[in-house]
Amino acid sequence: MYSFRLLVLCALLLPSLGTREQKSLPEQPMRIAAAADLQPLLPALAKSFQNSTGTPVQVSYASSATLATQILNGAPYDLFLAANSAFPQKVVDAKLSEQRSPVVYARGVLVLWAAHGVTSEPLTMHALTAGSIHRIAVADPHHAPYGAAAIAALRSSGSYAELGPKLVYAENVAQAAQMAQSGNAQCALISKTLAISPVLQQAGSFVEVPASLYPRMLQAAVVLRNAKQQKAAEAFLHYLASTAGRKLLVAGGLDAPASSR
Amino acid sequence: MDTAALLLTLRLAGLTTLILLVLAVPLAYWLAFSRSRWKTPLQAVFALPIVLPPTVLGFYFLVALGPQTAFGRLVTHLLGHPLAFSFAGLVVGSIIYSFPFALHPLTSGFAGTDRSLLEAAATLGSSPLSRMLRIVLPLSRGSLVSAAVLSFAHTVGEFGVVLMIGGNLPGVTRTLSISLYDQVQDFQYARANRTALFLLGICLLALTLLYSRQRRTELV
Repeated sequence: MYSFRLLVLCALLLPSLGTREQKSLPEQPMRIAAAADLQPLLPALAKSFQNSTGTPVQVSYASSATLATQILNGAPYDLFLAANSAFPQKVVDAKLSEQRSPVVYARGVLVLWAAHGVTSEPLTMHALTAGSIHRIAVADPHHAPYGAAAIAALRSSGSYAELGPKLVYAENVAQAAQMAQSGNAQCALISKTLAISPVLQQAGSFVEVPASLYPRMLQAAVVLRNAKQQKAAEAFLHYLASTAGRKLLVAGGLDAPASSR
Repeated sequence: MDTAALLLTLRLAGLTTLILLVLAVPLAYWLAFSRSRWKTPLQAVFALPIVLPPTVLGFYFLVALGPQTAFGRLVTHLLGHPLAFSFAGLVVGSIIYSFPFALHPLTSGFAGTDRSLLEAAATLGSSPLSRMLRIVLPLSRGSLVSAAVLSFAHTVGEFGVVLMIGGNLPGVTRTLSISLYDQVQDFQYARANRTALFLLGICLLALTLLYSRQRRTELV
């Protein structure tokens, strides 16, 4: 009987654990739906925005395609930061944003990463044909923007036919990095945002893939029509375009939208 | 419909179920009848694959099977190729991932055997092995079918682990659930609907058969 009462007491107290945190926040948070490639760098940007404006920021990470599906089906986000322009365009086309077109906030940079010691040659696309490289991890080219860029780069460097059998496909670019970091793939074509992370720096080295080899990866954003924090979402977009915001984006492995590279 | 993926999935789920039954029957028997004090903690350990998010489980498999561990290096040396991104790797991952679904119904089924029958058999000179083969297993037919169907269905629906250790290679490691996921992610809803409907239809059929069989066993 005693233990039953204890159980009931716990059950009654349980919901209050979750709500306490929300009560202490001054206002409703601005909710960002962010592409997975932003995961390593967005926390710093969100924190600095929160400090200067006082608006708390809540970020949900997933692939751009998943987030677009969620938004098209009514997910209550304020701002959508995608890893390309096509998915935010879908949101605009569905009249779920007041913007006429998505705003480009950064350019993605594709890099070629290799584990230490797999090739003695300088790291290039053609060095990947070496016999010591059995597996090359890429993100799924059909729905992950970095995967599509990787395949485009392999094709335009003329090595796709030869390297095709070595490719393994991950759901997103972060999982491609994990396949390589765990040593199961010797190389990976991934985002610079991931390659500069300490774990990957420790296990290998990377070079930027020449920008001429793949279509520009314009990462675009939209403020959603039904946003509860529309002003804050717009302010965050302005912040991303400011000098301070750009600095953090570049430090995190992205390029400014208009850079000539 | 992605026929190559369908055939691969059936091959993977069939093989996994077969191996799981071979492994899980003796273990479940021990768990059901042993008085060892290690029994309960071990039972908890075997339930753990359910707890971890499948993609995370897949990540740990990648690490364990990769060149970073002695085990991974040994397996690579023995097979001549790494286990990751191969069909054999998928089988190993699926066995661990679906293990609780085979073990649990078997353990409860065996434990529910009428002890007086076993004691009577023992007094008549029946050996432990013959008691298992001639009394416990026939009486636990329902649990055996349950374990097989649950392992099979769970392996068919497996996604995170397979994607992580498989690398989505067409005909080698791209299972039906991955193919279905890709279709949804690409906004190909018509194709995805067909695949999903097919998958649900098959499972509905299998589960209906299972439950009607179980009812018959109960009635006997």
